Amino acid sequence: MSALEDLAVLDLTDEKGQLMGKLLADMGAYVVKVEPPGGDPARRTGPFAGDGEGRERSLYWWQFNTSKRSVTLDITRQEGQKLLQRLANRADILLESFQPGYLDSLGLGYEALSALNPRLVYTSLTGFGQTGPYRDFLTSDVVALAMGGTMASCGYDDVTDAPPIAPRGYHGYSIGCHWGLIGTLVALHHRDQTGRGQRVDASVHEAVSCTTEAAMPWYFYQRKVPMRQTGRHHAVRPTPKNQLPAADGKFIMAWAVPRTPRHWESLIGWLAQHGEERELVENPHIREVFLSAERGAPEEVHRVWAAIARMIAKLPSDEVFHEAQKRGYPWGIVRPPEEVLADPHFQERGFFVPVEHPEDGRAYLYPRAPYVFSQTPWRIRRRAPHVGEDNREVYIEWLGLAPEELEALRSQGVV
Amino acid sequence: MPKREAGARRPLPQAKEPMGPDALRDVRIVDLSWIVAGPTCTRVLADFGAQVIKVEYEGAPDYIRGSPPFVEDQPGVNRSGFFNNLNRNKLGITLNVRHPRGMELLRELIAISDVVVENFSSRVMEERWGLGYEEQRKLRPDIIYCALSGFGHSGRHRDYTTWGPTAQAHSGVTFMSGLPDHEPAGWGFSYMDHTAGYQAAIAILMALHHRQRTGQGQWIDLSQVEGGVAITGTAILDYAVNGRPYRRVGDRADHPQVAPHNAYRCLGQVIVGEGQHDGRWCVIACFNEEQWCALCRVIGEPHLATDPRFATNADRLRHQDELDVLIEGWTRTLPPREVMERCQQAGVPSGMVQNARDKVGDDPQLRARGFFPEVDHPEIGRFKYEGVPAKLSVTPGKVLRSSPVLGQHNEYIYREVLGFGAEELEQMMVEGVI
Repeated sequence: MSALEDLAVLDLTDEKGQLMGKLLADMGAYVVKVEPPGGDPARRTGPFAGDGEGRERSLYWWQFNTSKRSVTLDITRQEGQKLLQRLANRADILLESFQPGYLDSLGLGYEALSALNPRLVYTSLTGFGQTGPYRDFLTSDVVALAMGGTMASCGYDDVTDAPPIAPRGYHGYSIGCHWGLIGTLVALHHRDQTGRGQRVDASVHEAVSCTTEAAMPWYFYQRKVPMRQTGRHHAVRPTPKNQLPAADGKFIMAWAVPRTPRHWESLIGWLAQHGEERELVENPHIREVFLSAERGAPEEVHRVWAAIARMIAKLPSDEVFHEAQKRGYPWGIVRPPEEVLADPHFQERGFFVPVEHPEDGRAYLYPRAPYVFSQTPWRIRRRAPHVGEDNREVYIEWLGLAPEELEALRSQGVV
Repeated sequence: MPKREAGARRPLPQAKEPMGPDALRDVRIVDLSWIVAGPTCTRVLADFGAQVIKVEYEGAPDYIRGSPPFVEDQPGVNRSGFFNNLNRNKLGITLNVRHPRGMELLRELIAISDVVVENFSSRVMEERWGLGYEEQRKLRPDIIYCALSGFGHSGRHRDYTTWGPTAQAHSGVTFMSGLPDHEPAGWGFSYMDHTAGYQAAIAILMALHHRQRTGQGQWIDLSQVEGGVAITGTAILDYAVNGRPYRRVGDRADHPQVAPHNAYRCLGQVIVGEGQHDGRWCVIACFNEEQWCALCRVIGEPHLATDPRFATNADRLRHQDELDVLIEGWTRTLPPREVMERCQQAGVPSGMVQNARDKVGDDPQLRARGFFPEVDHPEIGRFKYEGVPAKLSVTPGKVLRSSPVLGQHNEYIYREVLGFGAEELEQMMVEGVI
């Protein structure tokens, strides 16, 4: 049984919104990706399987469109608009990410579609929202991370002239999609209770703007702006470096040692095994400051971290990671993403799942969602669809078009 | 494919508090979470009207109550702005789980709730508290139990713990941030605490839909490290399919591969930290020829559009260093907001690097959208809060209340919701149960 198996979703989003539909589809919703007849523009985003460009080879498309159905439909034409209205009449949710006002201009805005289907939850995810002076601004992933404040907090404090950094992986879009989907599911909950749909106006800019942890409170409460620091939290007062190279060249994220006497003793014990405890033991003041310092980082704390850094530099990263975790410190290894594939822990959790690609005669490993549901398992139903792969199923079997009708639309270039 | 059918509906419960049309007014959540990830999840749900009961104890308050910034820089259990922003709209009670009567109270609360959220390490609920999913089901058969942990509740490292930065490092998202010839810049905050919180909220809302239709609850085992891997874009597939490991690109384009695409230095400086200077920056990105030609006009160099070095996207990618110097020659002469607005008016995607001061003070979009609402806090007064980025036309999210002061809603929850008398409440306080 799937959690969302009763739901039908129309997905009209571009690159920035496709994660929303994927998350619904992988939990069982019937998600129909509506593409222009030539294929969705996201199919032109690389990297490409085998590095050969082609609309069925985009890994961006593969990643963000699993489990979805695909239909082609030219919504700029009147016949296409009529067909989309019929689809919307059958749907529970519509997801779109066009510039504000575009779908209204085609007669496919919220007012028009909700008049046909009052139960519809209609979600628009745009760069800046449907209203306000920047509503027509163009966004992109880095634009979102710049405007929302991510970049102001990420970068280097020890590299001359380094710019603020936009972390990669489409996080601006991810944050926007997570929020767009939260709004959608909240609206769905309300509809489940009342039978009434509504409009969700989600702004990537606002989503990113509330995803910078303490940066906003620092300004709200003290009118201060934290500064960027290499590999660690932004801060108002400089803190010791805790991204530290191990003997094998990998970095350890030595995030923190809990400030309890028990953890202090364990730290000293570990440092002693590698001859780095002396400076800390000889000066009892250091212990006291380390255990009490809640704010800022006095000189004593910097000395503790210097000792930790020297020890880490002598050891392989794996040894540091496991030993630290056994001692109760929440440390990790700064790993390239692909290294997780070989991690036995995540293999044991079934985190990477094979998805068949019949055209390639093989399956590829995809990451699952981070949640394991006990009753309604997450599952990729199928690899991302080819352009218009499901026209027949969606239009004839689901919507109830006659085969001749579909053929006529096809010959007119509407689908 | 889904068919239209009327599912089994649960009766519409009465609103538990008179808070207007809130989408989640029928959802009661026992919130055992602390620090940032769990509280982010429950904040999202509380903003839409869920009744979130945050459980703390005087000897074990939420760690973030002790984290800066504090009002007037004076620490105090109810004075952290960080905590207040993160826990607004929630109800707060005290409950001592180390007291046998306290544990009974917790079980009573679970029995009348819809959702339990916790972000402890994996052994706490089941082994230490005896409140694993099976036990919770005995108290409330359709309970939705969301356990948010670092490595998940299975696998050889299930006892390992994470904070946001650990999960970021271990999942790959730290590695993917930074300049190619330097160590990773990583994240300047606990991004994975936010994101795992969002992912947990999404999972809970999906589980609520399933329960609405079937009456069945469930256990959600969410791993923060997996949450990071899930949002590494195409990095996993590029390796699984093409065998290509990830390489950092700074602020240049990753995919789609386009140029120009970078952060450019602008005119001016800002003060950050406690007196350090930081530059001003603006991002500019051109994804097609039209945007590139428009940019050439905006920077007053229309001839660049026909310069053979920059004629096609492939040419521009090859000559990115020269191109970036030319663009920065222009951006350095203007403040960042002007660079952005001139670009955007010409149809070129652009965004200034805004810090918190810019967002609150100078961003006309956030101001027009009312993104920083203000509410009163019983001890520290009136402050701004982050708004709700998804605007729902019928049931909008709201910031109605500050975070609770420690134990603020004991009276309401223990007397009105659980039905204890005044004397019993008094007794429980004296005995250190609450």
